Amino acid sequence: MTHIVVDPVTRIEGHLRIEAEVENGSVTNAWSSSTMFRGIELILEGRDPRDAWAFTQRICGVCTTVHAIASIRAVENAIGAVPPPNARVLRNLIIAAQCVQDHVVHFYHLHALDWVDVVSALSADPAETASLAQSISDWHNSSASYFTAVKARLKGFVDRGQLGPFANAYWGHSAYKLPPAANLMAVAHYLEALDWQREFIKLHAILGGKNPHLQSFLVGGMATPVDPSSQSALNIHTIAALKSLIASAKDFVRRVYIPDLLAVASFYKDWAGYGAGVGNYLVYGEYPLTDGKDAPLYLPSGVIRDRNLGKIEKLDTSKITEQVKHSWYTYGKGDDEALHPSLGETKPSYTGPTPPYERLDTSAKYSWLKSPRYDGQPMEVGPLARMLVAYGSGHAQVKALVDGALGKLGVGPEALFSTLGRVAARGLETALLADKMGDWVDELAENMGRGELRIHDNEKWDPSTWPEQAIGAGFHEAPRGALGHWVSIWRGKIARYQCIVPSTWNAGPRDAKEAPGPYESALLGTPVADPEQPIEILRTVHSFDPCMACGVHVVDRAGAELAKVKVR
Amino acid sequence: MSDAARIPLLVLGLGNVLCGDDGAGVMAIHRLRRGWEMPAGVRIVDGGTLGLDLLALLAVSDRVIIVDAVRADAAPGTLVDVTGEEVAPAVYERLSPHQIGVADLIAGASLVDRYPSEVLIVGIVPAMTDLRLGCTPDVAANLDALVDRVVAELGARGYPPVRRSVPCGPSDDGARALGL
Repeated sequence: MTHIVVDPVTRIEGHLRIEAEVENGSVTNAWSSSTMFRGIELILEGRDPRDAWAFTQRICGVCTTVHAIASIRAVENAIGAVPPPNARVLRNLIIAAQCVQDHVVHFYHLHALDWVDVVSALSADPAETASLAQSISDWHNSSASYFTAVKARLKGFVDRGQLGPFANAYWGHSAYKLPPAANLMAVAHYLEALDWQREFIKLHAILGGKNPHLQSFLVGGMATPVDPSSQSALNIHTIAALKSLIASAKDFVRRVYIPDLLAVASFYKDWAGYGAGVGNYLVYGEYPLTDGKDAPLYLPSGVIRDRNLGKIEKLDTSKITEQVKHSWYTYGKGDDEALHPSLGETKPSYTGPTPPYERLDTSAKYSWLKSPRYDGQPMEVGPLARMLVAYGSGHAQVKALVDGALGKLGVGPEALFSTLGRVAARGLETALLADKMGDWVDELAENMGRGELRIHDNEKWDPSTWPEQAIGAGFHEAPRGALGHWVSIWRGKIARYQCIVPSTWNAGPRDAKEAPGPYESALLGTPVADPEQPIEILRTVHSFDPCMACGVHVVDRAGAELAKVKVR
Repeated sequence: MSDAARIPLLVLGLGNVLCGDDGAGVMAIHRLRRGWEMPAGVRIVDGGTLGLDLLALLAVSDRVIIVDAVRADAAPGTLVDVTGEEVAPAVYERLSPHQIGVADLIAGASLVDRYPSEVLIVGIVPAMTDLRLGCTPDVAANLDALVDRVVAELGARGYPPVRRSVPCGPSDDGARALGL
């Protein structure tokens, strides 16, 4: 048996460590550990709940909008504020834009390098690449001369030693299956996606102001004025600009991302047999279609257990708890307790080894993440969970997209429960949202047309209108999955704040019953051809799109070499 | 991109304001904005820990001064700088606490042939990057010196800022950084 340590897992935000045991070329046991503490909750106590979003927005650079959304929803829920229709539509647009952009960046810039061998692209024949590209899409950049230029550019980087994000990978590994032409096509689209994302992000500037951190959130609504006749508000011109950005997103996703996804997947169909994980899925749901409580959601909430797509359970958020038996925290009433987040505690208690260390004692506490559970069971969250719950709920557009992709790959729905299923679900969700965003822009335009310009519910703004004690929860489907914020307010100030972020659901450690979390479970059975180069482990972990920055804090790795800098 | 949308000189503050000295660069650019009026052609941006999302800005900037916490073998609060060919390897080797984002940003600009003609990192050595709103005393004591360094670099490039007679915005660095 070989013991493998992957630390840090690369190409993610934050710090994640995976330990695995490999026997006869496949993983027999795995542990996921987040080795850095954050504890954002502690900084919020005693503050004005209306400001909380500005703090939570800074938890992580990858997920700024998502923590702002969850926070304002939690506070609105506590104090009873109801955002008007324009605020709902603007939020839907911001949330969907974040998701579309994030998924494209994840696929091309974080995950693709697990499947695409960049060095092999250097030996590709541009003419062959052109015929491959033309056979899967009518995208304009597909001529032999175009791919010749991309190849020359890539060669320039390699020759100058400027590999940047392409450094430190397992190039030439036997697990890479794409022919050189497919590798070159993927590298070309990696570069195009970089250009595309910096255009698309302008959508956030339109909706949230020039500052890269959106300043337009407000408890009770939004701060972005809507007025067709004002230069400084969302007006007829911004509607046109939004439409054009969404059209370009739709085009890129339909003609580049999805064809690439299917082309890559067709070479890696064996990965539909690995990485299934816990088989339980949880979705809070997202994109309210009407206003007020219990509004229907474009992506429905629900819970799936044991991969049973035939039975979508109604979500009951009172069944959510967090455990700390294997986490570096203590609970007042003992570490075998399971606490609902509204009563959650964040008391750090590090009992792990002093870094640098070779192994964690996984029989004791071994992670800074807690173990969230639903009705006592581990749950996977994220795009796959969302697509499965929607599929099982009979969502027409999701069904059409999923069945279409399964048909093209010649596999059945059981293939969804896998590493490849997770990658595919992310792409299909991107296509779904890029299609849907236009409807919300139309709704905004219609509202403007009939003089509905409200963006904010002022009625509950003044804390004197709040009860002495108020408790609320805000739920949101972030790109990476179900995000919940729980807030308790006492005499106008935050008394308690708890977040359960998607990567805590997915990357959390074993619970009090020793049941493994989704990463730990998904790694079982993963093949590992070379324990020195465990690219297969990265494939499954990256398929969840880890973002550890919210659960944890990043500091220098002990012993990491400091680069040479000039000291003044 | 038309010339009108180009930024001749971008001052980009990076870091997490909730993580003690990690946010020193962001605190510094807000202090710069509060105390100094910028000449035309200079844009100050609080980039937080956005990483690759900032590519849109970097790609339209002719020159960039990044203000950031930079780890080095020197006492906390020491000012350091990184420039030229050292920038890419420096950020790649975990120089900054949020290095993954910055490394992607720098590499991305280069990959799409939009690397600015000059990138200078004006840094300050952090003492502590744990959860905390605001810098530690050693770093806080040198934040004004960091701001002065940025002012001097702007002046040296033909963009001298003018000191405001009355500072604008709240005096609390943290509140300013969060837009409160």
